[in-house]
Amino acid sequence: MKSNINMMGKIVCFSFFLLAFFSCKHHENEYHSITDKIEAESKNYHGTSISSEAYIGEIETIEITEGEHTFLIPERKSQIKSYACTECHSKPLEKMQRKAIKKAHWDIKMDHANANTMNCVTCHNPDHMDDLKSLTGNTIDFNTSYNLCNQCHTKQFEDWKGGAHGKRIGGWAPPRASMTCVNCHNPHKPHFESRWPARFNTQKVKERE
Amino acid sequence: MSNNNKKWFSLNLGRKEKAASGSCSCGKTSGGCGGASNSHHITDEEFDVAAINASIGEERTKDGFEQVFDVKMDRRTAFKKLTASLLIGAGAVSTSCSVISSDENKEKSQIDWEEQFKGNYKLMTDEEKNGTVDRLVRSYQLRTGKTISMSSKNAEEDVLFGYAFNISKCKGYMDCVNACVEENNQDRNSQMQYIRIHEMKDGKGFNFNEADDNYYHEVPAEGHFYMGTQCFHCDNPPCVEVCPVQATWREDDGLVVVDYDWCVGCRYCMAACPYDGRRFNWSKPEVPEAEINHNQHYLGNRMRKKGVMEKCTFCVQRSRAGKNPACVEACPTGARIFGNLLDPDSTIRWVLENKKVFRLKEDLGTEPKFWYFMD
Repeated sequence: MKSNINMMGKIVCFSFFLLAFFSCKHHENEYHSITDKIEAESKNYHGTSISSEAYIGEIETIEITEGEHTFLIPERKSQIKSYACTECHSKPLEKMQRKAIKKAHWDIKMDHANANTMNCVTCHNPDHMDDLKSLTGNTIDFNTSYNLCNQCHTKQFEDWKGGAHGKRIGGWAPPRASMTCVNCHNPHKPHFESRWPARFNTQKVKERE
Repeated sequence: MSNNNKKWFSLNLGRKEKAASGSCSCGKTSGGCGGASNSHHITDEEFDVAAINASIGEERTKDGFEQVFDVKMDRRTAFKKLTASLLIGAGAVSTSCSVISSDENKEKSQIDWEEQFKGNYKLMTDEEKNGTVDRLVRSYQLRTGKTISMSSKNAEEDVLFGYAFNISKCKGYMDCVNACVEENNQDRNSQMQYIRIHEMKDGKGFNFNEADDNYYHEVPAEGHFYMGTQCFHCDNPPCVEVCPVQATWREDDGLVVVDYDWCVGCRYCMAACPYDGRRFNWSKPEVPEAEINHNQHYLGNRMRKKGVMEKCTFCVQRSRAGKNPACVEACPTGARIFGNLLDPDSTIRWVLENKKVFRLKEDLGTEPKFWYFMD
């Protein structure tokens, strides 16, 4: 009789244990929301075998570290046709602004802030044209020209570092390569032009008539 | 033999009329029926027609109410439908067993046969997936002489795809729509597209009733903003739940996909989707041969049939290979951000954690993995 009670007790205990074990959620639906799920599942993130490196292709890149973000941006100097600038700009700028010398950069029309805020020498260093300069006169390399833009455009800079502003090169997977400011914005005329949409669906118009 | 006053029933599968009607049903006047392979062999077009007749039949001319209540399903029609379906198989068998028909024809029929009776992609083993992909590639080669590459790459571990859309950056250029159509081999005639760009009035909020998704004027228009919609790849997708044949499902990397060969075209999913994310092929999708994207995935941009559902797959053929979807790559303003939600260092995660993001109809509990944000 006693052994029977013992037995019963064991069974009850065991079934409680089983119940406790199975009632733990082990399904995908255990999360209250997708945000919880992302948070929980990314705790043991080990990385993937997928890489976007191949899609960066021929683009030459340099690695930059800004704050806690390290990523690649396209190298710039080799993309500027008339670099190095000192090949022509051997003399200070004032001496070159004479009518006798053939006009250069005639196609550049400044449309960036207003004349009170900006002119050529806000960014270009008139004494050494191969480099750019900050507002306080520090040298900024052409390859890291984003340091020039972020003097005013601080918000955009923060977003760009994180990845909310601008475009990725290649794909979504690591290594991260992002376009830098001047890859999309012409520094002399940085706004996007209005234009016609790339597509018009005539069929849709017919269907809706 | 005139067809008008026939007293007996015959199957009309769009076959060519036989030139001579002899004593034998195979159409030969002499020599017996043994080598009658030509009359049994059906061409690709006839095969398509037969398949459509078998599956849709006269419902093509009726719609909605009529389809349900005005059905004359007597014994004869039921029989007709059944035999039509059987004949597809029989046609394939007869060609593959025939002595005379060319090896190519035999191979074609063999492929047709195996494709007709293959299982649901979701339940296939990796070998079976490779098998069906190889068959489809070979079949395309036999039919058009062109080679395509088709992938059956599975979801990678530790990947969950997510998407963010910056409504203050989108200018309504619609470059994404063009890129999507080209990448995903979408039908050119019907102009069915996965992406819609809605032009909305400032100060009216997300008012889809008053928004215009087919504008044609210089953009961005004064006093308007633009936002794009497509399949949001919900983590709790209602479209998957309503599918009566389980032809659509959520993959482990979060993509909601369709097996075009398993879909019966009932469009329940289209009705269930609260975001208008699904599209139906009302006609056979046609893409000029020169414009076909040959880099395909079974669950992605391979050529579809008439009468099946399709939708955005976040360009599965690209995203599983590490590329960005075509719309992300084409966007000139950088309004579209794509990435792995499980990677704490990814750009999409930074956006979700640092920008003020929201989703459409969040209260439905569909958990879309497509966030909107502003600068």
